[in-house]
Amino acid sequence: MDTKKIRNFSIIAHIDHGKSTIADRLIEYTGTLSKREMADQVLDNMDLERERGITIKAQTVRIDYRGKDGEMYCLNLIDTPGHVDFTYEVSRSLAACEGALLIVDAAQGVEAQTLANVYMALEHDLEIIPIINKIDLPSADPERVKQEIEDVIGLDASDAILASAKTGEGIEAILDAIVERIPAPAGVADKPLTALIFDSYFDAYKGAIAHIRIMDGVLKKGMGLKMMATGKVFEATEIGCFRPATMELDELGPGSVGYLAGSLKQVRDVRVGDTVTLANGGAAEPLPGYRGVTPMVYCGLYPVDSADYDNLKDALEKLQLNDAALVFEPETSVALGFGYRCGFLGLLHMDVIQERLEREYNLKLITTAPSVIYHVYKTDGEMVKVDNPSDLPAPTTIEHIEEPFVKATVIVPNDFVGAVMEISQNKRGEFKGMDYLDVNRVMIVYHIPLSEIIYDYFDKLKSSTRGYASLDYELADYQPAKLVKLDILLNGDPVDALSTIVHVDNAASRGRSLAAKLKTIIPQQMFEIPIQAAIGNKIIARENVRAMRKDVLAKCYGGDITRKRKLLEKQKEGKKRMKAVGRVEVPQEAFMAILNIE
Amino acid sequence: MESNFGIYIHIPFCKQKCFYCDFPSFAGRERLIDSYLAELSREMELTALKYGQDGKMAPYTVYIGGGTPSLLDTAQLARLFSAANEHIRFDQVAEFTIEANPGTLTKDKLRLMKASGVNRISIGVQSFDDNCLKKIGRIHRAGDAIECIKLAQSLGFYNISLDLMYGLPGQNMDTLKQSIEQAIALQVQHISVYGLQLEDGTVFARQQAMGKLQLPTDELVENMYDYIAATLPAGGYNRYEISNYALSGYESKHNSLYWQDVPYLGFGAGAHAYWQVNRYENPTNIDAYMAMVRRGEILSNIEEKVDEKAHMEEFCFLGLRMTKGIDKEKFRETFNKDIYAVFGDGIKEMLDKGFLQEKDGALSLTTIGMKYGNIVFGAFITGE
Repeated sequence: MDTKKIRNFSIIAHIDHGKSTIADRLIEYTGTLSKREMADQVLDNMDLERERGITIKAQTVRIDYRGKDGEMYCLNLIDTPGHVDFTYEVSRSLAACEGALLIVDAAQGVEAQTLANVYMALEHDLEIIPIINKIDLPSADPERVKQEIEDVIGLDASDAILASAKTGEGIEAILDAIVERIPAPAGVADKPLTALIFDSYFDAYKGAIAHIRIMDGVLKKGMGLKMMATGKVFEATEIGCFRPATMELDELGPGSVGYLAGSLKQVRDVRVGDTVTLANGGAAEPLPGYRGVTPMVYCGLYPVDSADYDNLKDALEKLQLNDAALVFEPETSVALGFGYRCGFLGLLHMDVIQERLEREYNLKLITTAPSVIYHVYKTDGEMVKVDNPSDLPAPTTIEHIEEPFVKATVIVPNDFVGAVMEISQNKRGEFKGMDYLDVNRVMIVYHIPLSEIIYDYFDKLKSSTRGYASLDYELADYQPAKLVKLDILLNGDPVDALSTIVHVDNAASRGRSLAAKLKTIIPQQMFEIPIQAAIGNKIIARENVRAMRKDVLAKCYGGDITRKRKLLEKQKEGKKRMKAVGRVEVPQEAFMAILNIE
Repeated sequence: MESNFGIYIHIPFCKQKCFYCDFPSFAGRERLIDSYLAELSREMELTALKYGQDGKMAPYTVYIGGGTPSLLDTAQLARLFSAANEHIRFDQVAEFTIEANPGTLTKDKLRLMKASGVNRISIGVQSFDDNCLKKIGRIHRAGDAIECIKLAQSLGFYNISLDLMYGLPGQNMDTLKQSIEQAIALQVQHISVYGLQLEDGTVFARQQAMGKLQLPTDELVENMYDYIAATLPAGGYNRYEISNYALSGYESKHNSLYWQDVPYLGFGAGAHAYWQVNRYENPTNIDAYMAMVRRGEILSNIEEKVDEKAHMEEFCFLGLRMTKGIDKEKFRETFNKDIYAVFGDGIKEMLDKGFLQEKDGALSLTTIGMKYGNIVFGAFITGE
């Protein structure tokens, strides 16, 4: 493949602005797949992705297209995830590209998430082609959106392409623009091989598979290779490209995008962001642009059935292969036994991992409430990082605690500015500034604790702005805050997995709400269960779950035995979701209760 | 044909639907009774032809329940009995029960029942407190029930059962005590006492959803339960099942079949059958039921195939409802397995908790275990 005929590009868009449908139309238009083979949104191939309408994994597809000049071009589309939690995946995908399509909804205009990704694309020096999608909508206003792109992003939108993934309008113009405006890759064949791993997945037959972009050199089947970060040496047993199913090739030249399989059985061997080179005579320096992953949110994952501990470990390892951002290490809880402390990019990421563990690996899990990483400065001068409230050192040994703050950018219609400010203020946010994007839409910036964001900030934001608010945030700094540990005692015993770190001003009200919430969640048992909220030795709230007085099906005849069986089975199923903490059976949702209180 | 089985016949008509009831029964559809009886007869005929001897079924018990069988007028009752006689051989029937509501039972109907071989009447009294009866949607008053029982006794019925309920709206300890004492004073042979359960789709469930249902507290309901469990045995009524009490020798033979893994056939809308390792359910909708019979279908809707695992579970969670519990030797004979080999962990846990006891080769609920029966039954549900 002639490097000059390759175009590598990503698509940047806010959720729902039509990224996946545009991708589908490009694939369809070029005949990469026949109509019959096209399932809608072929690139979102995880059930979860389709259900939620979001892309979690980056996907790749090679499209062949004859340009206006009559030459065949090889267009590599690298689809990117579309959620604030997956910013890192986007950055890796962008590093493999020379250009990007910026898709903006013709009615909705520029959103906070769009901004974040465009800035990242600009950082990577990508050629950006603005596309205004959904121009078939009655409420479409392409001129306003063009103006917004110029005002807010500073991109020349004069030759923005007007398109509708629904009607197919503008699809050919997009393909031509990719050929004409996006530069060909700069790599050369006669340098030592360097290939960037921008994604990976696990194949049950072939082992760990890397998605790669060849920067320089030529990758051939059978070559002896080396991972530059891990030092792992292996042989290229299979290489090829995605159409979007894998298609084997004999070699991949500079600028090419494809996959690489080797004797890579260990999931840890394929690190996203790592550089592949030759085992002998390889490149001296790895490729730049690898940004380490830092989880922002931690929670404990515990198997309901302790016999599943090893299965949970296997499942996490398998997921980690596809997900460089997932970290985990063993953890023990007095209440929950053996499990894993897992780090995530954000709440959606956490949700997705938890759901995949349950669905794809058939595990029943208890998830503890998410926590950020606190910097605890002790009186002896030492600083410890705490991502689990129960690890907080004794109060007397703490000099002060710092918590992570983020710069939160919210874009809302004018009318909701007051609502956004009220919520942000209640969440200990500090107002940083406000800009009018146009006469109607406002961008508001707050400096706000991450812990408040992961509680229910976004939910509150959405519900009080009728869903119009869009949010993006990035880690800003660590700031001292008056924080205390709120403990929960069940039946007189503290339950470590229910502890949280809260601001001292909110502690009493949070304690009362949490105790009251737990009362509604913990089912009646054969004895009375006191629920207490405590800060240090001081009890600040108390509730009681009254004893269950009796539990027996009164009537059992009329011959309807099947129904009785179903009732008993349902009861049994409910029990499976519970964890015995001391003598008390605690349902899974109790450990997340802190997220659902006022 | 199996020699040991029961027959249940369902009459799904009521004058008014009680507020707690989720059984297949319908008010205001009396005009369907005649055609319904015809289909009922046809269903029995088809079943007798297929499974009977010389075109007749020869069961051990027959039970006509509802709904309200006593809602049928005398002519309709007569047709029901003659249909039963046509398809059932009664010479081996040890117990022939019919359910009756004090608001619809008359002297003529009782006479007809007696003459047709009914030897046990089960009367839905629920409470002897008028205020309470009104709040649960019963059509009769306490006085009707007393009159009715005395009438049945005077006509020569020597096996009468009463249904009572506790935990009802408007009920307090005094009115419950008065009901229990009244039942004992009437010298009936059998008393069933059920705690109120809120079932989906009932008037009570809707009242509850609107916040309009006032129920006694859990503590009071427990006190009622304790009172009943102490008082009836003291009055000579042995508690032979969680909710059933009887003078010695008057335990319900038909209901005992359900708890002891004995097959039964069910006729009528919503009736259930347990026949040759399957559980069947007729359509609960009256029209759908009649259409099914017109198509000539019997035992057609399998609700559950009882495989060995399910069979063992049922054997236990049903058998444990009875005071005498489950006979370990009978379990071995039935399944060729030791009960401990199958449910050992659960049994040990329940023995440790004091919910289960083992004596004379039987496993049975303790007094406290009866209160928390569902927990014990759950130990015999192994799941997937």
